[in-house]
Amino acid sequence: MANKKKNNYVSKDKIENNFVHKKQVVKNNEEKEIKDKKEIKEKNTSPKNIILSIKNASYRYSDAEEDDYALRNVSFDFESGKIYAIRGRSGTGKTTLLSLISGLERCTEGEILFDGKSLKDMNLDKYRNSDIGIVFQSYNLLPFMTASENIILSMDANGLKIKNKKEKAIELMKKVGLKEIYTNRKVLRLSGGEQQRVAIARSLSYNPKMIIADEPTGNLDKQTETEILDIFKKLAHEENKCVIIVTHSQNVCDTVDVIYDLKKVK
Amino acid sequence: MFILKNAWISIKRNKGRNILIGIIILIIACACTITLAIKNTAVDLIDSYKNAYDKEVTISFDRTNMMKDFDSSGAEGRENAREKFDNIASYTISDIESFADSEYIKSYYYTYGIGLNGNNIEKAEIESSNNMPNGFGHGKENNISSTDFTLTGYSSLDAMSEFINGTYTMNEITDNAWDIAFDGNYVFINQELADYNDLNLNDKIKLEDEDGNTYEFEIIGIFKENEEGSTDVMSMFSNSANTLVTNASAVTKITTSNENLQSTINPTFIIDSYDDVEKLQDEFYEKGLDENFVLQTNEEVALSAVSSIENINSFATTFLSLTLIIGGIVLFVINMINIRERKYEIGVLRTIGISKFKLTMQFVSELVIVSVVALILGAGIGALSSKAISNSLLESEINSSNERTEEIGKNFVGSNMNGGMQDRGNRGEMRGKGVPVVEAYDSIDAVVDIKVLLELLGIGLTLVLVSSIASMVSIQRFSPLTILKERS
Repeated sequence: MANKKKNNYVSKDKIENNFVHKKQVVKNNEEKEIKDKKEIKEKNTSPKNIILSIKNASYRYSDAEEDDYALRNVSFDFESGKIYAIRGRSGTGKTTLLSLISGLERCTEGEILFDGKSLKDMNLDKYRNSDIGIVFQSYNLLPFMTASENIILSMDANGLKIKNKKEKAIELMKKVGLKEIYTNRKVLRLSGGEQQRVAIARSLSYNPKMIIADEPTGNLDKQTETEILDIFKKLAHEENKCVIIVTHSQNVCDTVDVIYDLKKVK
Repeated sequence: MFILKNAWISIKRNKGRNILIGIIILIIACACTITLAIKNTAVDLIDSYKNAYDKEVTISFDRTNMMKDFDSSGAEGRENAREKFDNIASYTISDIESFADSEYIKSYYYTYGIGLNGNNIEKAEIESSNNMPNGFGHGKENNISSTDFTLTGYSSLDAMSEFINGTYTMNEITDNAWDIAFDGNYVFINQELADYNDLNLNDKIKLEDEDGNTYEFEIIGIFKENEEGSTDVMSMFSNSANTLVTNASAVTKITTSNENLQSTINPTFIIDSYDDVEKLQDEFYEKGLDENFVLQTNEEVALSAVSSIENINSFATTFLSLTLIIGGIVLFVINMINIRERKYEIGVLRTIGISKFKLTMQFVSELVIVSVVALILGAGIGALSSKAISNSLLESEINSSNERTEEIGKNFVGSNMNGGMQDRGNRGEMRGKGVPVVEAYDSIDAVVDIKVLLELLGIGLTLVLVSSIASMVSIQRFSPLTILKERS
C-alpha cells in the first residue's frame, strides 16, 4: 500500500519492569495529508495536549500479598488527537491498567491525572459517563435493548439534555457505519462487527474526550477490524480525541500512533 | 426520571418474574388487609366492651387488714378485736357526696337500705332472715336484720345492679313505672311477697318503723329472683322475697325523719381510668374514709368479657406476623435470584457510569411499582372479603354480645309489656326513660378504612425495602469489571 506509513519504534525509559516504546508518525505521499499530520503533530507535541497522565501507578488486589502487584510503577502520558495501543502478553496487567484508566478501579499507589485532575479527587461515575467512553471486546451492550436504546441509555446516564435523543442515536450510528434500519433492532440480532459499532456509537453519545477500548477487534474478522480501526483513527485524527486501545493484535499496532508495551511484573 | 424510566422498561422486560412478585405481594396484601381489618375491628370491639362496662369503684371492707392483728387466744384478744371493729368509722350519704366531689370521678350512684316492718302486709314466711344488703351499717342500733322488710333505695337506674346482672327480673310493671320510679313513694316488690299478700300493681302498702311511724308506698312493679340456688335452705322463699325496691330519696326521707333507723349505704363511683384508683383511694382517706376500707374496681370483670375477642386479636397478630415473615423471606429470595440473573446488566450500567445509588434506586423502584399495584389489588380483594371473614370469625362474639344486651333489657321490663328492650326499635325510647342500654352489634363493621390502608402501605413498603436489602447490598459489592470478566 503506497500510502501506508512505515513504523519507526523509539525506545523509551525503562520504568522498573515495564517497557515503553513510542512510534512516530512519518510523512506520507500526499501533501495535504502531510500538512494535516504536521498540524496534528505540532498540536499534539505541545505539553498542553496531554489529556491523561499515569504517574507511577501500581495496583495490588486487596487479597494479594504485600509484594504481589498486578501492575507496578507504570508512567504513561496520553495526548489528545492520537491513537495509542497498550500491548503486552497475558498477565502483564493490560486489563488492570485499562480499569484504572477507566476509573473502574483506583490505583493502590501513584496516581492518574485526567486533564490535570487526579482521578482520586473525581467522581468516577461522572468521569465514566462524561469524560471517557469505554469499548469492550465483548461489546457489553444490553441484549434486551435495541441498538438505539443502548445508545440513548448512555445519554440518559450522562444526563444529556437534547430534544430528540433517537435522532442523535441514529446520527451516531451512521457515523460508525451503521444503517438506519438497525436502529430498532435488538442488539442480539446484529453481527459482532455491528454490535461493536453500536458500542462505539454508545461511547460517543456524550462526546467524551477519550475513548478506551479493550481488545475492540478481538472477536472480529480482518475486514471488520480494519473498518473499526478506521473509525478510531478518524475519532483521533479528525475529532482530536485520545483513543487508547488495549490489544494483542499486530494489525492494531500497525495502525496506532503510539505503542506502549507492558511487561510482566517480576 | 431516568431511574423510573429504566425501572419501567425493566418491569416490562421481565414480565414473568414481576407477575410472580406481584402475585406474592398481592397474597400478602390480601392477607394483611383481612388481618388488619379483623385486628382493628377486634380492638374497636374491645374498646366498645370496655366502654360498655363503666369503670366502677366500690368501697370494700378490708378484712385482711382487720385480721392481721387479730389474736383469737383468750377472751381478752377477742374483746380487743370487737372494740377495734366497733370503732371503725362508717360513712354516710354526705360522706359519699364528699367522696364523689373528685376530679377522678365522672358520676356515682348508691343503694340505700333500711329495715322496716309491715303495717298492712305480712312478711313472706321465712325461717331465717338474711336480707341485709351488702355494705357497712350506720345507725345507733343494729336492728335492721330483726325487721320484716328491707327497703332498698337506688339512686338511679345504673345503681340497680341486681336487675342489670339478671339476679332480679321484672315480671310486670305499670306503664309509667320508669317515669315515676325515682321520685316518690313507689316500690317494686317480689312476686312471692305479692302472692303471699295477694298484692297487685298500683296497690298501696304501709310500712312502719320500730317507733311506730308509718310510710305508704304504691306498687308499680313486681319482680322475681332468678338465683334460686342461693335461696336459704330453711326457707320456701327466695332471699329477696321481703326486699322492697324503691328510690334512694324515699329512703333518705325516712332516715331523715327518724335518725334512730339503721341504714346501709353501698356507693359505686364511675371513674375515667383504672389508673386513678390509687390516687382516688388516698383522696378518700384524706376526706375521712376509715383505713379499714379499700377501693375495689370491676376491671377484672370488664377484662374477662373481652378475653375471647382478645384471643382473636392475638391470633390475627400472630397470623399477620407469620404472613409477613414468610412473605418477606420469599420476596428476599426472589430478589436474590433477580440480582444474580441481572448481574451482567448491573455490570454494564455501572461501566457506563450509572452510580450505585441510582442503580439501587432503579431496582427498588421496580419492586415498589410492582408492589404498589399488587398492594392496591390486594387491598381491594381483602376489603371485599374481610367483612365476611371477620364476621364469620367473630360470629359467636356478636351473638353473645347481642344476647347479653337483650337479657339486660328483659330484666327491666315485665312480661305484660310487648317489645321493650327486646325490640331494638324501642331502645332509644327505653334509654330515654333511663334504662341502661349496652350497645350490641348486628355485624362486625370490618371495613378497610384509611387506617387499614395506611397500615397496609407501611407494612408493604417496609417489606419491599427489607426484601430489597439483597439487591442494595449486592449492587454495593459488585465490581463491574469482575462481572464483565465473568461474562466474557
